[in-house]
Amino acid sequence: MKEDLKNLGYSEEELFKPFDNSSLNSEKITAPRYSYWQSVFRVFFKKKINIVILSLLAIIILFAYVYPLIFEYDPFANIMNTTAKHLSPSKAIDKFGFSLRYILGTGSSGQPTFDAIWYGSRISISLAFVCAAINMTVGVIIGSIWGFSKKVDIFMTEVYNVIGNVPYLLFISVMVMIFTANFWTMVLAMTATGWLGIAYFIRTQVVIIRDREYNLASKCLGTSTFKIAIKNILPFMTSVIVTLLATEIPSYISYEVFLSYIGMGLSDMSLGRLIYASESAMVTPGWGFEFWSPVAVSAIITIVLYVVGQNLGDASDPRSHM
Amino acid sequence: MEYHALLFNERVNYMTKYLINRIIRSCVSIVIAVGIVMLLIYSLMDRNLIFKNDALFTHLNNNSKVVYKYQKWEEYGYLDYMTYQDYLNLLVANGELTEAVKNEVSTIGYEPSKDSKLTTQYIESFYDYCDQNGYTPQRLNAVTQRGTKVADGGKPQLFAYKDINLFVRLFNYFGGILKFDDINYVADIENRGLSFTLHDPVYGGEKFSPAIIGNGTYHKYLVYFDNQFPYFHQNLVTVNLGTSYSVNQGVDVFSTMTTSQGSYVKSLITYPSGLTEESADDLHSATYIKGSQKSSYFLQSRFTDDYTNTTVIKNGKSKIGYSFSIGIISVIIDYLLGVPLGIIMARKKDSFIDQLGSIYIIFIIAVPSLAYIFLFKAIGSAAFGLPTTFDVDSLSKAMYVLPIISLSLPSIANLMKWIRRYMIDQQNLDYVKFARSGGLTENEIFTKHILKNAIIPIVHGIPGSILGAITGAIITERVYVVPGAGNLLTKAINNYDNGVIVGVTLFYAILSVASMVCGDILMSMIDPRISFTSKAR
Repeated sequence: MKEDLKNLGYSEEELFKPFDNSSLNSEKITAPRYSYWQSVFRVFFKKKINIVILSLLAIIILFAYVYPLIFEYDPFANIMNTTAKHLSPSKAIDKFGFSLRYILGTGSSGQPTFDAIWYGSRISISLAFVCAAINMTVGVIIGSIWGFSKKVDIFMTEVYNVIGNVPYLLFISVMVMIFTANFWTMVLAMTATGWLGIAYFIRTQVVIIRDREYNLASKCLGTSTFKIAIKNILPFMTSVIVTLLATEIPSYISYEVFLSYIGMGLSDMSLGRLIYASESAMVTPGWGFEFWSPVAVSAIITIVLYVVGQNLGDASDPRSHM
Repeated sequence: MEYHALLFNERVNYMTKYLINRIIRSCVSIVIAVGIVMLLIYSLMDRNLIFKNDALFTHLNNNSKVVYKYQKWEEYGYLDYMTYQDYLNLLVANGELTEAVKNEVSTIGYEPSKDSKLTTQYIESFYDYCDQNGYTPQRLNAVTQRGTKVADGGKPQLFAYKDINLFVRLFNYFGGILKFDDINYVADIENRGLSFTLHDPVYGGEKFSPAIIGNGTYHKYLVYFDNQFPYFHQNLVTVNLGTSYSVNQGVDVFSTMTTSQGSYVKSLITYPSGLTEESADDLHSATYIKGSQKSSYFLQSRFTDDYTNTTVIKNGKSKIGYSFSIGIISVIIDYLLGVPLGIIMARKKDSFIDQLGSIYIIFIIAVPSLAYIFLFKAIGSAAFGLPTTFDVDSLSKAMYVLPIISLSLPSIANLMKWIRRYMIDQQNLDYVKFARSGGLTENEIFTKHILKNAIIPIVHGIPGSILGAITGAIITERVYVVPGAGNLLTKAINNYDNGVIVGVTLFYAILSVASMVCGDILMSMIDPRISFTSKAR
């Protein structure tokens, strides 16, 4: 071959030119640095409303967790004082002088409503967060296994049908009856079967994504199921999980209020208990603040948590990062 | 043409097979669910809780307190309880013992060593009987004060008890759900048999109204007609979901839910004896009570046989009746408002209407349901002067308004949310782009194509919401004091009424399974693409 080329009368340099290496490098496509969570927060904070709502959430958390640490609250401090009960805000301020704790008046045992609300909020918010954390963790893990394995699917679907037929209320009330109605019993009761609904939701999502082409391709190339779950499907599910969390947390507060109202709630003065205890005050003229302020605060808490969660869910969808 | 008919037949065939399979599986899951509930309430819950609010229990002392406990536990269905006395009566009934000997051996001594010789012999045989039948005998010695005097409630006691096994309980429960009336129900009665009449004696025997009357059966009227929906009634098969103990004493859960409430409706009725008077008694409901006719002059003058136990006619609806009439109206309103509003939101995406609707949806999802129900109650009564409490005797329809609104608003939000979501998801699909490129107007695309596809999952939920209306709503009924079925479960739980808890669970479970199956059938009817025969997993 080389002999033949020499016969053409060209020099070796003319035939073989050294190739410039750097020009190949210049062809290389470089993407800008992309960090998932950084983008999530960039998109999240782009909306100014989110900053407002987030600061509202911060204020609520500050009041629920820090305020009770600073100001001592004894619900029965004024119990012997008959003139201190069921006072409207203006009368309470007249009586006790202006102080933050009396701006919402007093309740049935003379306790300042403002303090009672934040003590109750602390219990309700803690309950919601603990229950959501447990249910989401268990639900997401079991739901993914449920979605991946066909054997597990058959078994779990039957379990879901059976448990779905037992009234949720019954589970909770029996738990509350077996143990005393304290905080951790309530957590146990709300999580005993609560994860099942989340797991079912996740299972459906997994089933939808599992058989997409890119996953089939990944499987053909020999990727293990575990790696497919972690690398291919979990990122896809992040926004779904965050959105689910946004509806879950307020729903526990709502459910706690409901349980307290039907007389199966906590023994502590949570927000729900507060509403239940002051129900009669709703119709009594002049006592309205006692009832409406815990209702309003619980509504504000749940709305704020929901909106933050929804917007975070939107922001955590990579398709919105463009 | 023929090919299509064949395909259709095959489809129906497969569908039937699938449905039968599905229903059998659902039945199994219902049985397991009831089993779990039984395990929860009979085994896991502390049985002493039922005495928490029992005034009588706190006043009893010593042995009688123990005996009372076991008696109550038997009534609530925890265990089988048998006293020594019951055992002796059993022997008398079997002819193994005479009354005279029974009286002699029935009193037991203060303690075992003080029993007479003959009594000891029978107590021994009682123990043997307990051993054979799995009972646990228990003997409580007399509690005495100052030597010989028996203390309050301190009499000696001898009894035996047996815990009911979960499987036995489950088997007995499902075995006894349907009760068939037969002519051998009553032990000794003359002229046992059924008679068919064209002129129902309740209406004086002249009006044409066919009826079947039984003698020897539990119910007197087995089949009859009257002027109440559904006009044709039967007592041959009765449903027995479980007997209530504290919520509605001695009455079956199903009857508790279906009997009318309110005040008596009196009308002129003719009793079997010929006496005519103003009364609310429903003679069609007559059931047998042994020796009842002779027991009082009142009954003697009205009835000619022992079928004297009648229920009364009341002006109100039943628990289910109230729940369902509120529920069904609200379901109709939900679909009439929720679906169009959702469609508008999807069509005018990101417009002012869409944002307003979204705010409403967020409000309903995020605010605790109790809070907005109270809010609607306050607005309704303050701004519109609507009644906020339910009065069974009142004929006014206004009292239905607020409960219906309270039920509707959240479901409308829910429907709007899903319709909007489904329609927006459909808008980006290829067939819509194709239709648009083919020159169809936006109106046509929306009504003829997108809506048809988006509505399918909504249709699936329709049977569920209709059947769900029967079970009632807990908070709404409580807030507006509606005498509906929604509060039955919470009431039963608060009163530890085990029979009702189990009965209501079964009722709910059957409804939920039925609505799932009906939803699937409906869905596959409106969308021929959906087939349950070879569902790709």
